[in-house]
Amino acid sequence: MTEDENDKAPRRMAVDASKSTDRQDAGGLAPDSKPDMSMSPALQAHIGRQVRAMFDSVADEPVPDHLLRLLKDLDKSGEN
Amino acid sequence: MPRTVSPGLKDALVAQIGNLRAFAVSLCGDRERADDLVQETLFKAWNHLDSFEEGTNLKAWLFTILRNTYFSERRRKKREVEDVDGAYAARLSSIPEQHGHMDMQDFRDALSELPDDQREALVLVGAAGFSYEEAAEISGCAVGTIKSRVNRARRRLADTLKLDAAEESEDERSETPQVPESRSA
Repeated sequence: MTEDENDKAPRRMAVDASKSTDRQDAGGLAPDSKPDMSMSPALQAHIGRQVRAMFDSVADEPVPDHLLRLLKDLDKSGEN
Repeated sequence: MPRTVSPGLKDALVAQIGNLRAFAVSLCGDRERADDLVQETLFKAWNHLDSFEEGTNLKAWLFTILRNTYFSERRRKKREVEDVDGAYAARLSSIPEQHGHMDMQDFRDALSELPDDQREALVLVGAAGFSYEEAAEISGCAVGTIKSRVNRARRRLADTLKLDAAEESEDERSETPQVPESRSA
């Protein structure tokens, strides 16, 4: 599958979060027509558990103080 | 300056910090940089809160800001130093020799080897709890593109980690597999 290597289509880099709906890199991949060959549901589930475990291990950590402070500071500066 | 932010919205923002950190770590593979990313994301979000429609998906909105911040920075760096990928790969430790039980570090390493877009898609759909449609919105691409990235990410992880039929049948014995999508073949 050489697609992996070729799949470096330019991405939209704008930071404006409200404009995330363009569909420009839809072309050329024929995504839905491709069967999910050789990946059994059990293996998918196994990988899913690993991804979640990794994600949750960080997500469940206490939020660092400096990030909470940032929001407090921003909040204060808005009151002026 | 943003308009006055309602306490509810502020709480909702704070409640997403953990998810944002987890997303950032899985994108950049570096905890310190991840927290910088989150900080930048919160800052931008705060200053653009008036463009956020209350009642819509705050989590997706924040994830969008974070990934756009990450990718634009990465792209800029890539222009400056042509070896961002090389540096990333150099951090990888050895690939596990035996299949069977893999620990989280092996998995992290394998995940970090994936192309950015595949890793992003897998994490959004497989861990952060977004639908394919939401993930497509966040990444600014088509739903089918997300699906194909997720599939390729899974296949590549299975290859890298040498997950084979043995691992699979182990899973089947231990519990009923949950399939995160409707396709069941």
